[in-house]
Amino acid sequence: MSQTQVNSICPFCGVGCGIALVASDNNITAVQPLSKHPISQGKLCAKGWNTPFGINHHDRLTQPLMKVDGEFRVVSWKHALSHIAENLKQFICESGPQSVGLISSARATNEDNYAAQKFARAVLKTNNIDHCARICHSPTVAGLKKTLGSGAMTNSIDDVGKADVILVIGADPTENHAIIGGKIMKAKLRGAKLIVVDPRQTRLAKVADLHLQLNIGTNIALLNGLLNIIFAHGWQNDEFIARRCEGADALKAHVADYTVEKVSVITGVDGADLVKAAKLYSQANAAFLAYGMGITQFVSGTNNVIAVSNLALICGQIGREGTGINPLRGQNNVQGACDMGCLPNVYPDYQSANDEQVRSKFSRAWQTEVARLPGLTSLGMSHQARHGNFRGLLIFGEDPVVTDPDRNKVAQGLRAMDLLVVIELSMTETAKMADIVLPAASFAEKRGTFTNCERRVQLIHKAVSPPGEAKIDWQILSELAKEMGFPELMNWQTSEQVFDEMCKLTDSFSGMSYPRLKQNNGLQWPCNNEYPDGSRCLHSTTFPIGKGKLIPVYHVLTDEVPDAEYPYWFTTMRLHFHYGCGSMTRQSPLLERETPIGLLFIHPQDALDLGLKNHQGVTVSSRRGCVETRIEFSNQVSPGLLSMPYHFKEAPSNFLTNDAMDPITEMPELKVCAVNIIPLPENQPPRSSVLSDAGSRVSQ
Amino acid sequence: MIERYNIVNNRYLLKDLGVLKHHLAKYYSVVQIQKDADGEKLWTEQFGDKIEPLFGHNHLPLTSPKGFLFAEKEVLYKFDGETFKTILPQVQPKVMFGVQACDLSAIAYQDKFFEHDPYYQKRRENILLVGIDCESPCVTGFCVQVDAGPHVKDNTADLVLSRLNVDDANGSSEWLVIAATEKGINSIKGMTLDKADNKHLKLRTKLLEKVRSEFVDYSYISNAIEYLNNNSVPAQLWEELSVRCLGCSGCTNLCPTCSCYTTYDVVEQQPEKPVSISREVKLEVTKSETIRCWDSCLFEGFQKEASGHNPSQKAAQRVERFWFHKFSDEYLPEFQRYGCVGCGRCEQTCPGTIGVHSVMKRIDQQCCS
Repeated sequence: MSQTQVNSICPFCGVGCGIALVASDNNITAVQPLSKHPISQGKLCAKGWNTPFGINHHDRLTQPLMKVDGEFRVVSWKHALSHIAENLKQFICESGPQSVGLISSARATNEDNYAAQKFARAVLKTNNIDHCARICHSPTVAGLKKTLGSGAMTNSIDDVGKADVILVIGADPTENHAIIGGKIMKAKLRGAKLIVVDPRQTRLAKVADLHLQLNIGTNIALLNGLLNIIFAHGWQNDEFIARRCEGADALKAHVADYTVEKVSVITGVDGADLVKAAKLYSQANAAFLAYGMGITQFVSGTNNVIAVSNLALICGQIGREGTGINPLRGQNNVQGACDMGCLPNVYPDYQSANDEQVRSKFSRAWQTEVARLPGLTSLGMSHQARHGNFRGLLIFGEDPVVTDPDRNKVAQGLRAMDLLVVIELSMTETAKMADIVLPAASFAEKRGTFTNCERRVQLIHKAVSPPGEAKIDWQILSELAKEMGFPELMNWQTSEQVFDEMCKLTDSFSGMSYPRLKQNNGLQWPCNNEYPDGSRCLHSTTFPIGKGKLIPVYHVLTDEVPDAEYPYWFTTMRLHFHYGCGSMTRQSPLLERETPIGLLFIHPQDALDLGLKNHQGVTVSSRRGCVETRIEFSNQVSPGLLSMPYHFKEAPSNFLTNDAMDPITEMPELKVCAVNIIPLPENQPPRSSVLSDAGSRVSQ
Repeated sequence: MIERYNIVNNRYLLKDLGVLKHHLAKYYSVVQIQKDADGEKLWTEQFGDKIEPLFGHNHLPLTSPKGFLFAEKEVLYKFDGETFKTILPQVQPKVMFGVQACDLSAIAYQDKFFEHDPYYQKRRENILLVGIDCESPCVTGFCVQVDAGPHVKDNTADLVLSRLNVDDANGSSEWLVIAATEKGINSIKGMTLDKADNKHLKLRTKLLEKVRSEFVDYSYISNAIEYLNNNSVPAQLWEELSVRCLGCSGCTNLCPTCSCYTTYDVVEQQPEKPVSISREVKLEVTKSETIRCWDSCLFEGFQKEASGHNPSQKAAQRVERFWFHKFSDEYLPEFQRYGCVGCGRCEQTCPGTIGVHSVMKRIDQQCCS
């Protein structure tokens, strides 16, 4: 029994740490950290260490399945693919290319995602291609697009080590992006000043120089307040503003309303601390700003992002090493799925699908007509299906029935389609609804690339063979294209050929190749003639839209505030030990054991007032639903605020959360709502949520 | 267990280590350190012998060879519905070629811990350990402070390799080969080797002194060990350090002496249809496997009891316990050494910067002020 090691990239969050997959007998038995990896440098979080448990061979799909009379039967690949092709051709012929589409995956490789959008645009002739980024950092993309022209992390992860002030707003990186969190703690040891803005006393808040424990949902008031203090003291970077920004005067006039006294009342933060924070951030040589879903998941999500951008621009803390506006992204390849153009409005490298020149460029390169009409989002496809206008959908590695808002509507949409094909590792809730299910290869079973949150494209390698007849996504699409009558269009033999084709058709990736990625331990886009070795830092001389836009934004109340009926604030969070809905991490007996007895974190004073004992069962209810769980005493939350991790289907926090939306991006206000708690009789255990799979809405 | 013989006349000289490796490869599968294209060093098993072995201080892999003896994950026994069957690992003879002194000290430590563990012993019996003397300090290593190196300690390897001199002109070296156990002596039977004499042994001792003198001042580690054993580390310091423990388990996974494990069952669910056997009705049986995997005492759940009670609920208690296990005098009677062998891997892997150097420095600074 021989043992092999193959280098790859951790499949969990967007940090993109290096791991060696140790395999024996075609099984992943262990992982090893890589000391030479540029980001992780020999470190991993608990999730990464437990990767082998998540790659479960017991439940894997190994053969194509087709539903006959309501039951799945094993069929050959040939049969499955020709059936899919015949149906798609018929739908296109009868109802037009707008009636078919694809949903790709932020967990799949760039090659898989490139193939998915090419199949949609060149084979199906539709722009109906989307993936889950829509319910991730959409306010980041929308907000930074307005202010800077580009929605990616502006700087590099190791810039944390070059900053002398680090400002973390609404993010819990030691738990969710642990290796970045560790770098922040290390920077603090070295002498950098750390400011944490968070309603919870996170681990970073405990070690911070300054913790602004604001009332939940008051980010804009706080950020405008800081701006006002900065202008009042003349701490703004006038030189940078004059050269790189527009709209400073209007912004200055706008924030004058946000006096220290007023902001202190709204946010609950001491005025002196606001002044200290404003001075530290604005006067730093280099200040690194990171934020997470404590900024994006509000009805004011996009405006929150704009307020963050205003602060960085006014202080000139962008475009240099150790600075930047750095959104922390959740999934291993959510950056890549966007970059590859798995969005209805853009081709790879964000080339506009509405631009005739772009369309003819791709049409020439692919030697075929491409889609002409605007495409639908995933919610749009589901909506059109319910109205009878959408007939055939291919879904790669996503489980929208479980993870998208409003399960019933999504299911109705899928049911209304004439053909649903799901390409998956295991029989998910969505796959159960499919007409055809195709077995896919996991990340450990293929070569390809992932792009992490600092825009670094990194190679992954095959460590074990796919089980049974499972295939790689791009291979499946390549064969399906042949069945559709395009024998040459996607006739790749290797993932490297897919990557090379993509690089030829983009600017940001034009300087990349597999050998160069290997040689450089990954390359950060843009990597082109101008930046042959990639780009550690964006916007050093200009913004994609020219001058940075300073846009006044107003503090608004959250959609719900506590009242007599629902007197507590409620927020959601993540634990270090789990990822998303827990489907991978909860297979580890070690991580599962770390689950607290109580899943509702409550300040001991609140519990005392209610006469509750630690770990007592309670019913938590909001205007939308209720769940039973146990309470866990915690000093992380302040009195009046309750907090719940969203990994556990037994107590799905999304039964409670508010679906009021950010008007610009349709991001639901998952971070805050109002709830009530009622104790269960002392010896009565909480019931696991009956509709346990229904409501866990996962957003990264 | 190693047969611990020390015979006087079992020292030889060798010009080309490849000759020894080729000889051993006839009888053993070779496990050795290899470097990948990024410069990453890994212990790997290979059946060809084209790749040159890497040795010594420059080549201490981040991951220790622990997993070859104490597997990350293994089936202990299976239940087929009626009986339990022990599943011992299927192993073939392996030679671990070029193990550094620190890791050898750790294996000797594990040998004691797992003395009565059939799974460990099955693997251990089939392994020949070829140790190598380090020729200079490594980046985070402080083996001299904890009596684990830089030269291979007595009674920790079957064969010991020590480079006596290098001929710069043609790049060749002269190696001292010490066969330290009966297993070691047997392993080189059939090779034609020149005998070494006392002057070669003296040269090895001299080189050892030279390497020892090259280590930087790690007295903070010795000081901190004393403070730890005096119980003079303030509780507040453990609190401060423990905020930085994310519970990733990296230190315990990489530590070559950490041996904690847990077990869990994987149950193969059978359809619950009653099967009629004569007049009795009996449920169809369930099959299961019981698996053992590495655990970590830094996890909150490590000591959590079914009632929810946890004697080490606070991270500070767990962090303190970890370092107590590595440096307490209380374990000396049982293991004759500390639980730390000075490899410094925990310093490299800890995301929270509370590996051994960081912690011992903090303790030294705090306690001496």
